[in-house]
Amino acid sequence: MIACVLPGGGEQLMRVAFLGLIFGLYQPLAVGDEPLRFGRDVLPILSANCFSCHGPDESQRKAGLRLDLEAESKGRHGGGIPIVAGNPAGSTLVQRITSTDPDIQMPPPDSHRVLTEVQKGVLQRWIAEGAAWGRHWSFESPVVAAGVPGGSAGIDRLVESRLSARGLQLRGVADRYTLMRRLSLDLIGLPPTVAEAESFATSKDPRAVEQLVDSLLSREEFGEHWARMWMDLARYADTKGYEKDLGRTMWPWRDWLVRSLNQDVSLDVMTEQLLAGDLLADAGDEERLATAFHRNTMSNDEGGTDDEEFRSIAVKDRVDTTLQVWMGLTAGCAKCHSHKYDPISMTDYYGLYAIFNQTEDADRYDDAPTLELLSDEQRRKRSELQARQADLRVRFEESRTADAVGDDHGWSVLSLSGGKSQGGAQLKAQADGSILVSGVRPVEDVYTLTLELPAGVVTALRLEALSGAGASVPGVGRNGADPNFVLSELEAELVTGGQVQRLQLVRPRADFEQSNWPVSAALDGDLKTGWAISPRQREPHAAIFELAQPVPLSAAAELRLVMRQHYGNSLTFRQFRWSVHGGEAAGLQPLRLSEKTRGLQAELGAVSEDLATVGAGVSKVPVLAALSADRQRETRLHRRGNFLDPGDAVQPSLPAELRFGFELGDPPTRLDVARWLMSRGNPLTSRVWSNRIWSRLFGQGLVETEEDFGALGSLPSNPELLDFLAVEYRQNGWSLKRLLKVIVLSRVYAQDSGVTEQLQREDPGNVLLSRGGRFRPGAEVLRDQMLAVSGRLSLKRGGPPVMPPQPDGLWRSTYNGQKWVNAEGEDRYRRGLYTYLKRTTPHPMGTTFDGGSGEVCQIRRIRTNTPLQALVTLNDPTSLECAGGLAEWMSGESENRVERGLRRALIRPVGQDEVAALERLLSDVRVMFEGSPEQAVALLAGARVQCPATISQAEFASLVVVASTILNLDEFLSRR
Amino acid sequence: MNPAIEWQLNGTRRHLLQTAGLGIGAMAVQSLLARDGLVPVAGGVSAAAAVSARPPLLAPRAKHVIYLHMAGSPSQLELFEYKPELQRLHLQDCPESFLKGKRFAFIRGVPKILAGQFRFRQYGESGQWISELLPNFAGVVDRACVIRTMQTEQFNHAPSQLFLHTGTARLGNPSLGSWVTWGLGSLNENLPGFVVLLSGGKTPDAGKSLWGSGFLPSVYQGVNCRASGDPVLYLGDPAGIDRRTRRRMLDTLSAMNAAEFARSGDPETQTRISQYELAYRMQTAVPRVMDLSGEPKHILEMYGAQPGYTSAAESADDPRVLYRGDDPTFANNCLLARRLVENGVRFVQLYDWGWDHHGSSPGESLDETLPIKCQASERAIAALIRDLEQRGLLDETLIVWGGEFGRTPMMQNNVRTELQKGFVGRDHHPYAFTMWLAGGGIRGGLAWGSTDEFGYYPVEHPTTIRDLQATILHVLGLDPQRFSYFYQGLQNRLIGPTDEARVLEPLLV
Repeated sequence: MIACVLPGGGEQLMRVAFLGLIFGLYQPLAVGDEPLRFGRDVLPILSANCFSCHGPDESQRKAGLRLDLEAESKGRHGGGIPIVAGNPAGSTLVQRITSTDPDIQMPPPDSHRVLTEVQKGVLQRWIAEGAAWGRHWSFESPVVAAGVPGGSAGIDRLVESRLSARGLQLRGVADRYTLMRRLSLDLIGLPPTVAEAESFATSKDPRAVEQLVDSLLSREEFGEHWARMWMDLARYADTKGYEKDLGRTMWPWRDWLVRSLNQDVSLDVMTEQLLAGDLLADAGDEERLATAFHRNTMSNDEGGTDDEEFRSIAVKDRVDTTLQVWMGLTAGCAKCHSHKYDPISMTDYYGLYAIFNQTEDADRYDDAPTLELLSDEQRRKRSELQARQADLRVRFEESRTADAVGDDHGWSVLSLSGGKSQGGAQLKAQADGSILVSGVRPVEDVYTLTLELPAGVVTALRLEALSGAGASVPGVGRNGADPNFVLSELEAELVTGGQVQRLQLVRPRADFEQSNWPVSAALDGDLKTGWAISPRQREPHAAIFELAQPVPLSAAAELRLVMRQHYGNSLTFRQFRWSVHGGEAAGLQPLRLSEKTRGLQAELGAVSEDLATVGAGVSKVPVLAALSADRQRETRLHRRGNFLDPGDAVQPSLPAELRFGFELGDPPTRLDVARWLMSRGNPLTSRVWSNRIWSRLFGQGLVETEEDFGALGSLPSNPELLDFLAVEYRQNGWSLKRLLKVIVLSRVYAQDSGVTEQLQREDPGNVLLSRGGRFRPGAEVLRDQMLAVSGRLSLKRGGPPVMPPQPDGLWRSTYNGQKWVNAEGEDRYRRGLYTYLKRTTPHPMGTTFDGGSGEVCQIRRIRTNTPLQALVTLNDPTSLECAGGLAEWMSGESENRVERGLRRALIRPVGQDEVAALERLLSDVRVMFEGSPEQAVALLAGARVQCPATISQAEFASLVVVASTILNLDEFLSRR
Repeated sequence: MNPAIEWQLNGTRRHLLQTAGLGIGAMAVQSLLARDGLVPVAGGVSAAAAVSARPPLLAPRAKHVIYLHMAGSPSQLELFEYKPELQRLHLQDCPESFLKGKRFAFIRGVPKILAGQFRFRQYGESGQWISELLPNFAGVVDRACVIRTMQTEQFNHAPSQLFLHTGTARLGNPSLGSWVTWGLGSLNENLPGFVVLLSGGKTPDAGKSLWGSGFLPSVYQGVNCRASGDPVLYLGDPAGIDRRTRRRMLDTLSAMNAAEFARSGDPETQTRISQYELAYRMQTAVPRVMDLSGEPKHILEMYGAQPGYTSAAESADDPRVLYRGDDPTFANNCLLARRLVENGVRFVQLYDWGWDHHGSSPGESLDETLPIKCQASERAIAALIRDLEQRGLLDETLIVWGGEFGRTPMMQNNVRTELQKGFVGRDHHPYAFTMWLAGGGIRGGLAWGSTDEFGYYPVEHPTTIRDLQATILHVLGLDPQRFSYFYQGLQNRLIGPTDEARVLEPLLV
């Protein structure tokens, strides 16, 4: 129901919604004798009523007929031709839609779709006029008609021409105070001061408006305000989501956003950085940080979840969000079946998925890969410690080797006669008897080794994992980022003269075991468990496995060992050595270290701790990192969207019918996607973005369904204006600030927002733009405005999110000990975008005023008007403290306190009747407080103010009530 | 009334009728028209009318829903499913056929069969098998229809809860309560139409999205009414502001806003005036309905409720260690549910956390924790059924009970491979589990469907979450196939895009 998702609300908009529905989908927009246009007038009827069975989705197609393709629609099908140009009566389509026989009638009665007489008329007239075909309007390039002036004047011209067709004209310009407040709230999300407004209002400079706009656009608050829109799109949150919903460091990305917007980084550059900053030539921290955009996807830390399941959900979210944000297309349905209305097949969907499917992240608990944001000092200290660590490691290794020689009494190192890696890695024997693994690095691996056994008794096996002091990446595992190993299972067999005997291994012990990953798990028959050694991945380790029965060997034999390593993430051995022992096994220890070695080990531990301290508190932001060429994932269709039900393999590709002439690179990457979105031929991105910006300034988009520019979205109310803005945005070099300036300097923007009876009649929903926009701003602007007027606002910028007061007991996620602690000091009064956003429990002010949870991409906020909102602005501690702040300010004025307080909030000069109403409230309430002073004390305490000596307590408390009333005025809560 | 507004309303009304003449096929519009009459419906964007009562499209069997969700998922094998075969095979290896191709949340390798831990008996005229853990519920079993063959598509808590309550395991869709309130409105304009009550100390795993309005306007989201602090967030006036002061303040506010409306002509201003007045009335109405202290003693005892009780478990880091079986929070919520329904609230959703009995850590076992959870809840549930019945409300109230999935016939083995007291547990089981329905339109005493001798798969009448969703809508007079909302190019439905959902007609009277 379109009516519900219309921003603005109220009965009047309700009506507009229906108008939109009718004009948009069911009534030709063509005026009078103007020929019908396919994309605008005909296609919407066909797509809404016919395409679900006769459209792109092959699985639902009936009678093998496609009406979305011109050739098929005009070709012979069954006994007739659906569309015969110029001959409605001869077209089977017309025969079917006009039939009353339920067996013949289209759409069939059980489809619950009914064509109106108007719609039937449109189809017939279009066929009669020659059935000219075309594409859906938004897939055609935007064009600006000749003669339309550039800049703001062009906007005025295109709006005026629609208005004059209805006998209307642009409304007069709003007064200077209103205009200044409007510009200020729209551009920086904060109100002006009265002094600023006064100076603007009295300025005689003809360029005063432009100067004001320029100065607002150059304020740092600009980036903070517009970042909020981006954060909705990016599904930004400070937690990971799902059951545990633990915290996650995303705020450096938010600060990146604010910086980029303030620097007016062009949309094409920003797009490349957001989607593929890591792939740009000379990518630095700033570019890599940008890619956190697509790491705002959620991670599921719930016990027992399949990481691959939630990784694939995250990748799908990236595909969906990308198409939504840039192209205004909803691709979600193509996960399970081809899109019924828009040309996005399931193969198209998974083609894009295949491109996004090549990043390292995999729903891991630590959110890896992450970017560490180090200061220069931290960087210096870290490299110093790393050098020291490397040196210590060499000395430790030498010392340990010397120990091992001493400790090797009775141990014989086995030499390798054959080794194989299931994943194709190279296993090579080294001079010290160890085996070094190199070459390809599979995610999981199984090493099968054949080792030469000397004659004698074998009672135990020893496995040494070597940390390789000299290696480029010191550590016992092959994954440099996490050089751990997981020995999932170990199997041993004795091969004597062709006879194979399985050896039972018992009483395993290791010098060190990671918690929950004991060495015994390598013998438990379960591939999901195993032996691992984090956090001591950079030290050598050893394990001993006793044989259940000592094996006496009269002659040389072979030992076959299978080392299964199935954890994934390439947690596999890098260098290791096998030895056997022939004596009493019970007393054997995995590693026996000398005093010297122990000392070095302790030093090494201390340095590791210091290194961890340098890294502690350093923000680690999840980012995108491409998989190397040898680790690319194969992508298959997920049948019915189910990742466990893979279908055919899919190659990375762009949606075939939406390439707009763009050619993918080889191999295709996310960078290609970014360039495709911003490519000259792509008609959607510029329209979607300019519509989005427009909607933030007028309260509703020219295309009302901001999230859907596809076949079922609404049509633009002023297509020429939309195209004008789209072309303007691209031609100005994708500069948001320039686009904003062009729009806000138009007379259309500056119009008075008041409704006259004529306007109410002719343009009830302001679809024609016959007046300025009047609407309630979002949660953050309301908060910031209230704080600004109260004098409490802190303009501290950036950094970790803060926790302004919220009622106790809201945060109760399972298995999550994190707490909300109401901030004190200036963090209590920061701008709304800095409020901590926990996905499962957002701050109630946000959700009450239509903010999202950051769980999914929010293209627009559906504006509501509810009693719960009144409770927030009346009773929330922050609201009360703002009333206190405003009252305190008023009490500091020597005269006309009420008038000045009201003006401080509304900015415009106020009327005497308004002041009188508030004065009466003040005196009535004062009487009450005089009668019950304890109430005054309680109120002042809650408002966090202290009564100044110059004023009575009852008077001051009454001022708080007046201030609260002012902050709840409809005019204050509206941008007009 | 201001003539300008009158005129706007008339215009809107006229316009709606015109659209009707054009025969717009969209279901949503039909439902809008069906609920016309008040007209400034405003698609929930504003106005009390957005949440005011609207007639359903089909003949309704119930007007209200009380949904009792046991978050974590109780074991059907300890409560409803009597399976002697499990006793016989107790601690033997689970047959390979049950494990092949299956994914489990925690079970590893080959687990052992675990016998039901409690005794069963047949109860009521219907002779349903009920566990000894549910003595009070056994007394009202003839009012309930027990579905033994529920199946779901998800086996982790958060996705499964989302699937059950919003129709998709992904986020962003409206919850059942939001759908229903959007479709039918509330019967008391001074109370929220969709109220959520929590107990057990934690929010259910999927969090607030379980009562979120998704793509529906936020006015339809569930309102969490709380036992401590303000029953609705920010409901109480600040200290120092009494009712008289608030009234005086609102009078000035209304007058000044009316003046603003005269200047601006923006109908939103008019709506805001009425929303402030509604908030003022809610400030009285909500605490009144949430206050249990006026309930007679015999009613409090019947439920096991204690007015004004605040449980330490509700703010504990790990509430499970505080479970003793005597916590009245859930019982209070049941009694509140009755009071809310009595006062016209359309949908009351209870979530009781702490039913995830894996047996892998303290406070989550079948042998020790489950009896405590039953003790703290089943008496109140039985009381709720009886109490609604004695007030003549049971016929118009649908009660739903269940978890998000069931539990395996095998013992969970990832931490302990041997049985140990206080650590007996089962893993998540999506293939067959038990839920029950009672009240409005439901055939009491029916046991629907049956499972194999292990309770592993349904044998007769497998019943999906989609079937359940369709049935709930149907009972309320909403056609599940046609009840939809146009968003992002799709007619979105609670029951999802495919037509697999069936209304469970045999369960209905």
